[in-house]
Amino acid sequence: MTPELIAEKLQARFGDKILEFAKDAINPVAKVAPDAVHDVCKFLKDDAELYFDMCHNLSGYDLGAGKNLAVIYHLFSFKHQHWFAIKAEVPREGGHLPTVALLWRTAEWHEREVFDLYGIRFDGNPDLRRILCPDDWEGWPLRKDYVVQEYYHGIRVPYKEDWNNFDTLAANPERGHFVFQFEKRLPVVNGNGKAAEKSNQ
Amino acid sequence: MSTFGALGNIFKKQRYYFEGEGEMVVDLDPSAALDQRRDELIKARQSGNFPGDDMIVNMGPQHPSTHGVLRLELVLDGEIVKKVTPHIGYLHRNFEKHAENLGWNEIIPYTDRLDYLAAMNMNHGYCLAVEKLLGIKELPKKVEYIRVICAEFMRISSHLMAVGTFGLDVGAITPFLWAFRDRERILDLFEWISGARLLYNYIWIGGLSRDMPSGWIKQATEFLDELERNMKEFNRLLSGNQIFIKRAAEVGVLPPEVAINCGATGPVLRGSGIKWDCRKDEPYSIYPQFEFEIPVGEGRYGPMGSAFDRYWVRIREIEEAIKILRQALPQCPEQGDVKEAIPRRMKTAAGAECYVRSEAPRGEIGFYVRSNGSDIPDRVRCRSSCFVHVSLLDEISRGCMVADMILNIGSIDIVLGEVDR
Amino acid sequence: MRQYFRDVWRGVFTVLIGMRETWVHVFRPPTTKQYPHERFQLPPGTRQQLFMNADDCIGCFKCARICPVNCIYIDTVKAKPTEDLGKASTGNPIRQHVVRFDIDMFKCCYCDDCTTVCPTECLYMTDKFEASVYERSNGIYHFSKYEPALAMKMLAEQAAEEAAAAAAKAAKAAAAPKKEPAAAAPAPH
Repeated sequence: MTPELIAEKLQARFGDKILEFAKDAINPVAKVAPDAVHDVCKFLKDDAELYFDMCHNLSGYDLGAGKNLAVIYHLFSFKHQHWFAIKAEVPREGGHLPTVALLWRTAEWHEREVFDLYGIRFDGNPDLRRILCPDDWEGWPLRKDYVVQEYYHGIRVPYKEDWNNFDTLAANPERGHFVFQFEKRLPVVNGNGKAAEKSNQ
Repeated sequence: MSTFGALGNIFKKQRYYFEGEGEMVVDLDPSAALDQRRDELIKARQSGNFPGDDMIVNMGPQHPSTHGVLRLELVLDGEIVKKVTPHIGYLHRNFEKHAENLGWNEIIPYTDRLDYLAAMNMNHGYCLAVEKLLGIKELPKKVEYIRVICAEFMRISSHLMAVGTFGLDVGAITPFLWAFRDRERILDLFEWISGARLLYNYIWIGGLSRDMPSGWIKQATEFLDELERNMKEFNRLLSGNQIFIKRAAEVGVLPPEVAINCGATGPVLRGSGIKWDCRKDEPYSIYPQFEFEIPVGEGRYGPMGSAFDRYWVRIREIEEAIKILRQALPQCPEQGDVKEAIPRRMKTAAGAECYVRSEAPRGEIGFYVRSNGSDIPDRVRCRSSCFVHVSLLDEISRGCMVADMILNIGSIDIVLGEVDR
Repeated sequence: MRQYFRDVWRGVFTVLIGMRETWVHVFRPPTTKQYPHERFQLPPGTRQQLFMNADDCIGCFKCARICPVNCIYIDTVKAKPTEDLGKASTGNPIRQHVVRFDIDMFKCCYCDDCTTVCPTECLYMTDKFEASVYERSNGIYHFSKYEPALAMKMLAEQAAEEAAAAAAKAAKAAAAPKKEPAAAAPAPH
C-alpha cells in the first residue's frame, strides 16, 4: 500500500487523533496525538492489509531549546514490503508516551535509549532504565539545551583544552621525525575561531 | 537440544507465517511468561538473598570473548542460564551529539568509528542518507562502482573476522589466523586505494575522496582467485569439522518470528531462514545490476536459526560477495572524475528529514538525518544493527549453558563500537 | 548407538582432513614479517603523520575549520601594507604572518580532510608512522617558522593595534551622535 492509502485508512479509523500527514516528505510521516500512539501502532501491526511486523527505527529528536521533543517511528512490513512513519510530539518537561515495547520487542531498548538521551518517559515499558549513560548521570544529553554536569563521582566531566598548559619541550632535539622550529611553547593569545565557538556552546 | 530452564522458551512451538497459512501470533508480554520472577530477582539483588538456587554472575566487561566491553548479567540455575541482562555503554561516545556540532561531511570520519570493522559500509550508509536528503540522484558511474566494490571487499573482510573469531570462541585457533591472513590482504588493498588501513573516510557525499590507482583492479582480481582457494581450505578445516558442527548446530536458536519481532537484520535474520536482503529486495546504488543469491540458514544439522546457521550464512555471503566482485571489477570504468558530483554547499530546507537503510555486514544500518536549514545537521541518528542484536541475546540464550553463551555472543557478531555509538 | 559411533568416526575423519590442510601449510612460505627488522612497503599516498611546509602557508584557516576534532591551532598576524611576504609556490599571495601553526598529533584522527582543502598544498601526510613519545606535550608539533619570542611580540603588537583601533572607533562613535544623531543610529538587522 502507498503511504497515502495507509494515512487515509488511519484517518478513517482514528479521526482527529491523526493530526497531520506530510505526504510530500521523503519519508511520508503522519503526526499522531501522543496518547494515541499505542493504539495507532497496534492497529498498524494487527491490520491484515498493513501488517507492520517490524519497527525498524525509533528515534527521538529535539525541535529546539524551549520547544517540544518528538519521537519518530519508522515501521516496515516484511509481508507487504511497505514503509510508514509516525511521529508524536511531547512537551519538554514531563513528556511521556505510551510504550510500544509490547508490540515490537525491539522497541524496548530503543525506548530506553530515547529515555536515556531525551528524557521522554514511556509508560508501561517493562525496563525503563538508562542504557548508554550511567544510571546516576544527570541531564538528558541529546537535548539542545543540555549542559554537561561539572563533576561525576569526583571526575571532571567537561573536556578542557588543557594541552596549552603543558610546559613544553625543553630542548629535546630527538623528539620526532620533523625538524621543529620552536623550542619553547607559544602561549595562546587568541585561539582559532572554531574552537572558541564550540567551547561556548 | 539444550535443556531449558524453569522458564522455558515460549517461542519454540510457534510457526512462522511464511511457511504456513496462519498469521503471526507472537504477542510479547514481558509481564507474563518471560519475567515471572523478575521482581523477585530484583528484590533479591537488592537484599542479597537469592530465592532458591539462583545465582547472578557477571560476565565481562573485561572478558575477552565478549568481543569488546560488554557486561552480561546472567541469572543462573546451576549451569543453566535463566536470564541474560546485557549492560552496554562502556564505549559510549555519543556520536549523535558530536554530529550536531559538525558539518555534514565532517561527520564521515566519525561514522568510520561506529563499526570499525566495516568502516566502508558505515560511510556508504551515511552518504546514501545525506545524498537522499540533499536530492543528489545521479552519481558518476565510476563512483557507484568503486563504492560497491569497496563495500563488498569490506563485507568479506568483516565476515572473515566474524567466522575467524567464532572459530576461536569454539576453540579452533588455526582458522582465526588464516582468516586474518586474508583480511590483511584486503586491508592492503584498501590502504592502496584510500591511504588508511582501518578508518578510511573514503566515501564522501556525492563522490569519493580520491581516485582509484591504476593497477588496483588487477591486484584485486588476483586476490580474489587466491581468496577462493583459501576459502575452500578454510571450509575443509573448520566448516566441515564434525566436532565444530555438533558444537554449534544446537545452541543459540532464534526462531524466525522472534527474529522479526526483535528487529534482527542481516545474517542473524537470514540465519533464521528468512530470505531478506535489502541489497536485493530494496536495492540501492547499483546492486540491481549484479546477480547474486541470498544465502539463508537451512537447519541442516539441527534446528533452524542456530549459531551454526548464522556462521554458515556468513561463509556463503563471502562467496556471494566474491561473485559480485567478479562482475563489478571488470565493468568498473577507468576514466572519470570521482569528485565531480560533490556538492559545493550542503544545505536543505529546515525540517527536511529522511531515513535510509543499507546492508552492512552485521545487519541493516539505518541513518535518520534531519536538517535545520543550516550547514550542520539538526539530528543524525544511527540505527545500529548490533544494538538490536545485543537486545535479543536474552531470547537466544535463555535455557542454554554458560559455555554456550560464548558461542551465542560470537554467532551474532557484535562490534561494541556500533552498539554504544 | 549406531549414530554415536558414526559421529565419533566422522569427528575423527574430519579432524584428519583438517590436519592435512594444516600440514600443507608447513611447507608454504611464511606470511608474517618480523616487523622492526623487515618493513612493509607502504603504498603511495598513505596517510600517516601530518607535515606542514611553513614557507607555503598563507594562513587561510581552511584546515583548522574543517578538522573534525579541532587539532590544528593557527595564529596569524596581518602583514603591514609596506611588507611584501612574497608568494607561495602555487602562486597564492601570502598576506599574513603565520606565527603559530600547531598540530596535536594525539588528537588527530588521520582523516585527510585538512590536506584536501589546503589551497597551496603545503599541508600533507607523510609516510612516517612511528612517533611515540614519552611526554604528551612532545606530541604537539609546531610548524611555524617564527621564533616564539618574535611571534609573541608580533601578536601583542597586533592586539595593541586592534585595541587602539577599537578605542578610536568607540571614541568616534561616542563623538558622532553629537554631530549627526540620525546617521549614527545602526541599521536594525
